[in-house]
Amino acid sequence: MTKNESAREWLYAGKSILFVYGNFFYWLFKEPFPYRQTGEQFIRTMLEGFGTLMIGAVVQGLFLAWLGGHYGGRFGAYIWAGTATTFAIFRETSVLMAGTLFASRVGTAFTVEIGSMQMSGQLDALRLMAVEPTQHIVIPRVLASIISLLLLKALSDGVAIVSTMFFLKHWFGIAYPIFLEHAFEFLKPPILTQSFVRAGIIGFFIGLNACGLGYYFQGGAVELGKTTTKSTVINFIYVLMVDLIFQVVLETTGWGTV
Amino acid sequence: MIEVKNLHVSFSNNHVLRGLDIRIDEQMATVVIGRSGIGKSVLLRSLCGLIKPEQGSILIDGEDITMCSRKKLLKIRNKIGMLFQEGALFDSLSVYENVAFPLTYHHLFSREEIDRKVRTYLDFVEMQEFLDAMPSELSGGMKRKVAIARAMIMEPKYLLYDEPTNGLDPYSSAIVEIMIKKLQQELNITSLIVTHDIELTHFIADRIALLERGIIVSLDSRKDAFREDSLIYEHFIKKRERIQQANGY
Repeated sequence: MTKNESAREWLYAGKSILFVYGNFFYWLFKEPFPYRQTGEQFIRTMLEGFGTLMIGAVVQGLFLAWLGGHYGGRFGAYIWAGTATTFAIFRETSVLMAGTLFASRVGTAFTVEIGSMQMSGQLDALRLMAVEPTQHIVIPRVLASIISLLLLKALSDGVAIVSTMFFLKHWFGIAYPIFLEHAFEFLKPPILTQSFVRAGIIGFFIGLNACGLGYYFQGGAVELGKTTTKSTVINFIYVLMVDLIFQVVLETTGWGTV
Repeated sequence: MIEVKNLHVSFSNNHVLRGLDIRIDEQMATVVIGRSGIGKSVLLRSLCGLIKPEQGSILIDGEDITMCSRKKLLKIRNKIGMLFQEGALFDSLSVYENVAFPLTYHHLFSREEIDRKVRTYLDFVEMQEFLDAMPSELSGGMKRKVAIARAMIMEPKYLLYDEPTNGLDPYSSAIVEIMIKKLQQELNITSLIVTHDIELTHFIADRIALLERGIIVSLDSRKDAFREDSLIYEHFIKKRERIQQANGY
């Protein structure tokens, strides 16, 4: 593939995403609202994302326990291991971890599913039945993506904290009461709020980008493979960008900092 | 009646339809034949408003769908059913749900009425035993039959078929052919079929149009189309024989 072709493909991907943003907001407020489809997609995304995100949460706990225990021991600050790890989970790592895993598991599934619907004429069949595919296919997935990521993030926060506690005790002998004594000391409401707002925004972008790339997909199996890769890459970049923008805003305004 | 005048459609630099004219008379089966990639599917998609032409008009019962509002287009589309290539059944829905979908989505009838209609049309296409099957469990021919039932459930005036026998074995092709013929004869549907299947064409066509270089170059009755001096005979039968002979067969 020449550089020009590659650039053209990425340009088309960008255009697809922009188009679907416009379509999403245009159709969001039109009747009929797809309640049933949103409910179905919510259950589906919860089930699809649950396993991956919980494994991610355990690994996250393992990683933070190792760092917390290792440096806690080095500086003689075991008592603060709980505080540091819990703060890290809520302030930063859980949203990043949940976002990237959700994008790989659920986002790519959206792109492949909608892309193959486009390829096999199912989206055209919907249009012919006077059903707008944005309303029937895109909006339910985006809304489900927002709600599921919020809930899965909350669950993965809990799992990550419990697994950090467990590994700190197992590897470094830090008893649960010591961990818990200062664990939530610095977790002020704004930190929790911004963490969940960030997850919601990331969920929105993951859902919409993934659906957009599938919705405006053109070509055959090879192109669908490439589009799916693009969906993952674009969503990873979005997760990092949203996180970065949040950091800048939080640091500038002082909102959500200790 | 569907009337297409001076239809131009192109994608980037590819000018597919170049001033196409055709009239589809009511209660007749018109078959558009042409080589693969010549623009047959583009013509069908333009007729139901899925592709916006650059130029020309498409009159469906006197109303130009290239000029009308989205609301009006949706209303006109109610008159049209389409059988897509491969059927385009929704993978996540069962056979029953697929056929019922247009009615349940728009809440057009009571649950009992929808159930009655779905069973009637599935019975018509002889698929009543597969109500709960998923599309992935069906053969190509069965998928087309279910897709015909789904297209029929809105009781359209016009039915458009995009390569209805493409990729099917001779047995399944014959079943789909009979199904189309049955619809034609029993329900007086106006059909437009695009295909390159000459046997299907011979079996169901009342009129046959030949699409070449983006325009209709010939439109004949079935009898005239298969005469040895016709353009269609020249393009589809003689050419094939010539290629075979040139290669020593």
